[in-house]
Amino acid sequence: MNKDIFLGFLHFIFIAAFQIFILNGLQLFGYCNPMLYIWFILMLPTNTPKWAVLLLSFAMGFVVDIFAGQMGFHAAVATFIGFIRPIFIKVFFAGKDIETNLRPSIAEMGIMTFLPYITLLVFVHHFLYFTLEIFSLSEFFMTLLRIVCSTISTVLLIIICDYLFFKTKKS
Amino acid sequence: MHNLIRFLKRYFYIFLFLFIEGYAIYLMSQNSYYQGSAINSFANELAGNINTYTYNVSHYFTLASSNDALVKENAILRAKIENSYVKYENKTFQYNDTIYKQQFEYIDAKVIQKTINKRNNYFMLNKGRIHGVTNNMAVICPNGIVGVVVNVSNNFSLVMSVLHQDSKPNIKDLRTKISGTLVWDGGNYSIGKLVDIPSSIPLKIGDSIVTSGFSQDFPEGIMVGKIKSFKKDKGTGFYVVDVKFSTDYNKLEYVYVVKNFFKEEQKQLTKDIKNE
Repeated sequence: MNKDIFLGFLHFIFIAAFQIFILNGLQLFGYCNPMLYIWFILMLPTNTPKWAVLLLSFAMGFVVDIFAGQMGFHAAVATFIGFIRPIFIKVFFAGKDIETNLRPSIAEMGIMTFLPYITLLVFVHHFLYFTLEIFSLSEFFMTLLRIVCSTISTVLLIIICDYLFFKTKKS
Repeated sequence: MHNLIRFLKRYFYIFLFLFIEGYAIYLMSQNSYYQGSAINSFANELAGNINTYTYNVSHYFTLASSNDALVKENAILRAKIENSYVKYENKTFQYNDTIYKQQFEYIDAKVIQKTINKRNNYFMLNKGRIHGVTNNMAVICPNGIVGVVVNVSNNFSLVMSVLHQDSKPNIKDLRTKISGTLVWDGGNYSIGKLVDIPSSIPLKIGDSIVTSGFSQDFPEGIMVGKIKSFKKDKGTGFYVVDVKFSTDYNKLEYVYVVKNFFKEEQKQLTKDIKNE
């Protein structure tokens, strides 16, 4: 248990640092703005208490916010993702014992389940984030384009990272 | 108490979420100008709407007393305004010249009452006998012909408008100089009819129609309107012409009463012939 907490702490720092120092400065094609930090929320073990997920989500969003210089945006959206995560866990981990220490990843779920799981949540996250950032329905299609491009890039990034860091663990 | 704790435990997760989310939104509103003002204005609008509803209900209770106060204030104000006084001024414009003898004099007046939608329409003016207005004087306005005075009291006068079945001023077509009579057959107050124009005269749509000066009332060349359409009446050999009045009689406000200095002289001449 202690080991899990320590590992989670490391994940938190590394993912936050990666997001803050590298991805935040990245603007691919002018539309793509990958937000890897929600991977941290999505891959928390399934037996993490719900309240802890909420607090961790908020903390992650808050840290990203501080460095992005716009208070509250990431925190609000990340907290929402942390709030709806248990529903998605229930749906996508159907038939598995989510009370044990399961980590949502390709190794545990298989790519065919993992991909829709992260795609849906990342889309919800990006949709809320960009809508909140624009805060109006003008330029709706421009915003939609940003949402779709960023979702694709974030999902790709999460899959690459997942392969890099968790593939070996299984074998 | 036990139930309360169970309730809190059960919904602790949702309360925690709402609390954190609320805090995040609070941060957002505090730190970003646009989102903050949008959130604030939404809150203000909500509060304003609720306040409006409550006001709409509550102000019924004070309606009677505020009405009384308003009526009193109205009465005081009404006694003060200019309209409750009749102006005793007699401004006429006259000049003497040895070569040109002035034939017409104009008395300015204001329309204080009017109808336009009856078959026979009248205007009431705020000038009467003591200002020099007498019966059968012509009335014009800056845009054109208005009518003829038919009744005069000391301070007011009644004008038979051209929108009247007895109003038959003599007019002419400015281009061809052919003269006719203007009548109004009711209906549209912006369209008059010309009769007595022989169909041998080539008319054009858009021709200006002015007063001919043949009647003793109207000076020559007062604008009446423009020809809107015309057709030949085969039975009589005359045109039936629709004229669009140059004056919007619905908006008529300031007019001039025309006094003809030679009128009695002209009348006397015709009377002499009739008597013979």
